[in-house]
Amino acid sequence: MKLSESIKKKNRAALLLMLLSLVLAAVVLSLPAYKFTSSVYTKKSANTFVGDEKYAEVRAEVDAVAEEYRASGLDVEVSESVTERTNSKGKTTSMVAFSVDQTFVKNGWSFLGAGIGSAWVLMGLLLCLALSAACALAGTAGSMDEPYRTLDGRSASFRSASYYLALIAMVLVPVFFMVNTVLMSRRVDLYCDGLLTEGKEELFARLDAFLFGGQGGEDLEDMLKGLSFQNTGAMWLLLLCSAAMIAGGIQLRRGAITHTVVRGLLYAFVIALCVFILYPYYVMLVTGFRSIAETNDSDFLHLLPVKWQWGNLKHIIDRGVLRYLGNSLLIAGGATVLALLCGIPAAYAMARMRFKGKNVFLGFVIVSQMFSPVVLLIGISQLMSAMHMYDSIWGLMFINAAFNQAFAIWLLRGTFVSISPEMEQAAKIDGCNTVGSLVRVLIPMAAPGIVTTLIFVFINAWNEYTISTVLISTASKRPITVGITQFSSFNMIEWQNLFAASLLATIPVVILFMCIEKHLTSGLTSGGVKG
Amino acid sequence: MNRTLQKKMKPYIWLLPSIVLMAVFVIFPILIVFRLAFSEVSKAGIVGGFVGFKNFRDAIGLPAFKTVMLNTFFWVISVVGLSTVFGFIIAMVLNQKFHGRKIARAILVLPWATSLVIQASVWNYIIKYEYGNLNNVLLNLGIIKEAINWRSSYQIEFIWECGVGIFVTIPFVTFCVLSGLQSIDSTLYEAADIDGASYWDKLWRITVPLVKPSLTVSTVLNIIYVFNSFPIVYTMTKGAPANKTDTLVTYLYMLNYYNRQKGPATALSVIGFLVLCVCAGIYMMGVMRKEEDL
Amino acid sequence: MKKMFALLLALVMVFSLSAAAFADGGEITLDVIICQYSSGTQDWFLGTGMDGSNFVDKFEAENPGIKLNLEVVSWNDVYTVADTRIQDGKLDILNIDVFANYANEGLLEPVSQYCPEDLYNDFFPSFIANSVIDDTVWAVPDLASARALWYNVDMFEEMGIEPPTTWAELEDVSQTILDFYDGEVYPWGIDMTTDEGQAAFAYYTWGNGGGFIDEDGNWALNSDANVEAIEYAISLVNNGYTNPNPATQTRYDLEDMFAAGDMAMVIAPNDMPTYCAGKDSEVNLASAPIPANEGMTGSGVGVMDRVMAFKDESLSEEETAARDEAIGKFLEFFYRPENYVPWVSMEGFLPAVNSAVAALVESDPSFEAWLSVLDTSKFYPTSLGEWDAVKQGVIKAEQNALTGADVRAELDALQADIVAQAEAAAE
Repeated sequence: MKLSESIKKKNRAALLLMLLSLVLAAVVLSLPAYKFTSSVYTKKSANTFVGDEKYAEVRAEVDAVAEEYRASGLDVEVSESVTERTNSKGKTTSMVAFSVDQTFVKNGWSFLGAGIGSAWVLMGLLLCLALSAACALAGTAGSMDEPYRTLDGRSASFRSASYYLALIAMVLVPVFFMVNTVLMSRRVDLYCDGLLTEGKEELFARLDAFLFGGQGGEDLEDMLKGLSFQNTGAMWLLLLCSAAMIAGGIQLRRGAITHTVVRGLLYAFVIALCVFILYPYYVMLVTGFRSIAETNDSDFLHLLPVKWQWGNLKHIIDRGVLRYLGNSLLIAGGATVLALLCGIPAAYAMARMRFKGKNVFLGFVIVSQMFSPVVLLIGISQLMSAMHMYDSIWGLMFINAAFNQAFAIWLLRGTFVSISPEMEQAAKIDGCNTVGSLVRVLIPMAAPGIVTTLIFVFINAWNEYTISTVLISTASKRPITVGITQFSSFNMIEWQNLFAASLLATIPVVILFMCIEKHLTSGLTSGGVKG
Repeated sequence: MNRTLQKKMKPYIWLLPSIVLMAVFVIFPILIVFRLAFSEVSKAGIVGGFVGFKNFRDAIGLPAFKTVMLNTFFWVISVVGLSTVFGFIIAMVLNQKFHGRKIARAILVLPWATSLVIQASVWNYIIKYEYGNLNNVLLNLGIIKEAINWRSSYQIEFIWECGVGIFVTIPFVTFCVLSGLQSIDSTLYEAADIDGASYWDKLWRITVPLVKPSLTVSTVLNIIYVFNSFPIVYTMTKGAPANKTDTLVTYLYMLNYYNRQKGPATALSVIGFLVLCVCAGIYMMGVMRKEEDL
Repeated sequence: MKKMFALLLALVMVFSLSAAAFADGGEITLDVIICQYSSGTQDWFLGTGMDGSNFVDKFEAENPGIKLNLEVVSWNDVYTVADTRIQDGKLDILNIDVFANYANEGLLEPVSQYCPEDLYNDFFPSFIANSVIDDTVWAVPDLASARALWYNVDMFEEMGIEPPTTWAELEDVSQTILDFYDGEVYPWGIDMTTDEGQAAFAYYTWGNGGGFIDEDGNWALNSDANVEAIEYAISLVNNGYTNPNPATQTRYDLEDMFAAGDMAMVIAPNDMPTYCAGKDSEVNLASAPIPANEGMTGSGVGVMDRVMAFKDESLSEEETAARDEAIGKFLEFFYRPENYVPWVSMEGFLPAVNSAVAALVESDPSFEAWLSVLDTSKFYPTSLGEWDAVKQGVIKAEQNALTGADVRAELDALQADIVAQAEAAAE
């Protein structure tokens, strides 16, 4: 009885919280908090002093423009700024900049019905908030003293819906803000530059109606170009409302906030991590398919290419990228196989056998890695030319395998050591020899470690650059890392080709990883494993 | 008799392929480096006679030597340290059960799967002031009002380089830790739960000690790998301004092929090797002694 | 265990097989390194850029006994690759910007050994004079470029001002541009990067009566004129007239900014219009002389690359003669107008031989003006053995100055270091 009383109290508080946030949201939307500024006209004049002839001339011109706007019913203001300098000859120079500005203050409700992008988002936001509160009411009606767990289907779905709607509302708040800025300034730029023509007239008409009361007329493009949006804290208040809604939703749904918050944080962390990691790949993707002019022009401010240049892909393939990819696959694949073939027996001996010089060998292995390949270039190239492996893919396979021996042996040894030798001993008693027990027992059990090693060696070999640069002289034998230098040198960077090729170069490794990922996570099951 | 000999020889036979591979392709070039370090080397790289420690004296006398050494230490410690911390945390998170875990793991492998040259080029492009993507995105999202110069001083540029270093090193640490976590017997946690252990108790008493061997391996390998890492610094700044963002490897590369002081450059690489030997040696000894104590 | 050995054995056999495949049957193989001047270079020499065929195929078809092992290497790696090849004795012909070290160490063949007489006489004499050490010509020029001030015509018209001719005017114009465009356009570009910072040194010191060497050809890096010039350049950066990161923004970054309309003036080679067109730029550009200090006459800045041939000590006298002849054939083919003219105009550079001038001027009349600019231009003192050290030294001095170091102290130290090196080399 007491328990249900406290639940009732909690549910009531949650409901109250949601309704209050709904009211607050309504109040926030009534505030005149959304400020748009538009520089409808700007004029600069170099070598002009306040009060001189040129100044009067330009001033008159600007005033006339302002007057015109006023006549059409807009409330504009003229501002001027003067920059005075003393030049190298000791003479004073002056520059005057005039600007005709208009400021519009809007409240949230005035967006509704404006038909522009942010209006739709705002409507969705409001709808979600209202529905969330409504669902909360419906979900608690008649079950105020019951926790979510014991609820029947209908009430439970209502409470769930309430929670998820509040969540959507929360996401929509920054979207609203973003659409306002993106649509109102950046995309208008693109429309004005004629880069996006679809629906241009329609959008302009709606913006005109919303901002200038339909007074924009022929100057509309200029007026829109100077548009900027300023949010005076209203977004934070709206966000607060949505957060309160979610809190109420959680309370109604789970009864315990901690669990939801922990899960929420977990997902938030993972999503943030993924976004962060994917960001450079997003950059490669969009830059790789932009036009040349777009890649290095600061005026082209948009998130996706104006027009996807799939031709870039054909261009880089024409310049041999597929061939380079093939070479890389061959080199990295060969090096991986070789490194494992040599590394597994060595690691096994290190983990399972007692012999003199074990530590010496371990030290030798690690020391052999302590020179950067950059440093060893000279020696390696002499060696390769003595062994007739100059300019040969075989040579690179061996080099890569050798340079990854230490990593392979260390990683594999660690894995082997952590696996109890009991199973192998059992296999030996069953008549297996050492090789047999290694192949049949240890390797399957050490799969995660071997897979890690395999990925490691493959990726290292795939990414090797310096040695290949020097060793390979025939263009058709180059691996991808060297191949793409034709798109990037200090004297010519073709960002779009470089990134398109880079993206292609990443794909095989990701596919490889996806194929063997499950071995990373499965592997060691039960028994025979020492903790 | 023959049998005992065979038995004695057995471990060495197992090691043989590995030893041959390394001796030929790694040790031989290393010996050549040592020979060069003690020889007179002309500007075009022609090897002359034995000059003792002259190259070493020249190398230590280089004006940028101190800066470069300090940079290298900062670079190694920050990249290895932070990527180990972050990598461990991420591995702990990715070891939880949640929807999309497989996808998250596949995504995590990406920074590692992309060559350093490419990775550095991308970040170079991202943080460009004039048309870089970071400014572009932030402007578009309305987060900033005007473009920010992300590389306003060489200190900041060096921090960016370290950041990229950390970014590409994390996946390796994470996967090493993940494979370590995988091999922990879940019954241990169950037993701890029965004993009423808290989350932190379990973390410090069970997880950390059992993951430690994998962490040790990844740290030692990372120290070596990061110390010798070349493309990030070379692509992003080439050590500019005036070697202030150089690490040892990029510095000696420039010294070798741009300034053509090939003798001191080689000597510098030997010095780097010795430093690395000492550092990695101390670390390994420290860790192994502790392991024995346990 | 046996399997393991079998595998090893198999690997060894593969080695020897691949080794056998390398044996050649009496024909001459020339190992050639060509620098990658543009995105078209590789296609021209190895792909399909030369009328559907390529340089190597055409050359080998014409000269059956000679095989070209030609490699197009990016400028980022060319020093590394060239040095390694030299050490392994795997380089016959190298195309690069410097030659003095190779010549001083006795690695090069004198040009007279292999260059056909007609071709030799075809080179611009002033270019050849730049490749002489101790009265011997060690390399031949392959192409050149002339640097000039490029400016955005539309911007200057909009502001109603003229491009600057003196340093003082440069400051004024820069300030006007900053004010007029609210700092959204960089007035001026400076490149003090590790790749080409020596060019900045040349632009400013030559415009102030200074330079790398004095009239007697001795290093004079710390002259008053040089100190003043570099201090001036640094002041441009500190006043905010330039791109913000001169130590890492290469000339090509600057050219990109210019092409995108984000930079009003930049010093760049004569191929700037081609470069901008390649970047789909809509900028309307024109060139002017590089500004000099008040009362000084500025000097054009010319840059030249070279082709040189390396000795092969392992060959007998006869073989050397045959090889020299092959190298001569390569050069003759390379500079033949029908091959050379389209290549030079594709790369956007200026030619090094007289026979190419007529055809080039016909295809693009602007070449004539550029060639006369080049005639009066100064070149880097690349024939001095310390050039590599000087080049890196001035770059380092500039970069140190950018972070606040004293220019005079930097240049004094550099001068002392270079003089010491020169003396050591003389002994």
